[in-house]
Amino acid sequence: MNYAEYRDFRASVAGRNIIFYYFGYFSQHVISAMADAVRLQLEQAETAASTRRKIFSSFVEMAQNITHYSVDALTPEALRDNQLRQGSVCIGVEDGRYFLLSANPVAPESVEALRSKLEPLRTMTLEDIKRAYRETLRADQPEGSKGAGLGFLTVARDASAPLEFEFGPCEGSDAVMFYVKATI
Amino acid sequence: MTTETRDDLFLPSTGSSPEVDFRFSEHALALKGESYPENAAAFYADIIARTKAYLATLAPSQGVTVNVALTYFNSSSTKMLFSLFHALSDAAEAGARVTLNWHHDVEDDTMLEFGAELHEEFPAIDFHDVAVEG
Repeated sequence: MNYAEYRDFRASVAGRNIIFYYFGYFSQHVISAMADAVRLQLEQAETAASTRRKIFSSFVEMAQNITHYSVDALTPEALRDNQLRQGSVCIGVEDGRYFLLSANPVAPESVEALRSKLEPLRTMTLEDIKRAYRETLRADQPEGSKGAGLGFLTVARDASAPLEFEFGPCEGSDAVMFYVKATI
Repeated sequence: MTTETRDDLFLPSTGSSPEVDFRFSEHALALKGESYPENAAAFYADIIARTKAYLATLAPSQGVTVNVALTYFNSSSTKMLFSLFHALSDAAEAGARVTLNWHHDVEDDTMLEFGAELHEEFPAIDFHDVAVEG
């Protein structure tokens, strides 16, 4: 990339009101450092405390989903801690509201499970979401989940619009790119 | 192992885990800070096991004070905290007098609601909502 291309890249980011973007490998240390950066920026921007908390919470859930489930990992699957997995996360402002976007590669066989978890959330009211949250809190840990099955419900609870998601091709790989968008 | 149950448990806070100050010898347990460790199940497993071992040694009607001042916890920590309060509730039902002081920012509705949830789910625990000015 030359300076002119980099300038265009920066201009494209600036034009989209992006306050934070990261692409690369996610570890717990990286997430903790990013969480600090996000918090500082939101404080600087004098964002309302309740909005800051919702963005922070959604950010942590989405970033930790990447360390738990991205299939592009530098670390062995069996390792319980210190996972290092690839994805991207972005926070921006659109029509006066904050949004968070994340993307990470998933195995093709995970697509249906993710879809069946996310699709019902889209038509649920906030009351429905809170009820499902309370029920899940009391239920046993679902098979294969590291987040108690509460992660997407937590994000949905803090969002002001239904969660959006999308699956797309993943260049140079058999994996599927999984996108999630939350508007706060 | 039984000799260890009365030992106090102290874990300093890290960037993503809370300070754990469980003074079993004084019947005073406190959690403070933020909780979003990578593996909440692993982080809380030992804390819950030590707490259960302590609770099993309590004399009837022993008072236990729990102070929780968490400013944030992620979804997997939520599940583990619920298990911890479940253990405390079982002790309360068995006769211990368990007091839970639930500290949260006055404007933090999520924490307020989670406290209300605990209050409703575990009525044997003497629950006190402590709203703190931010």
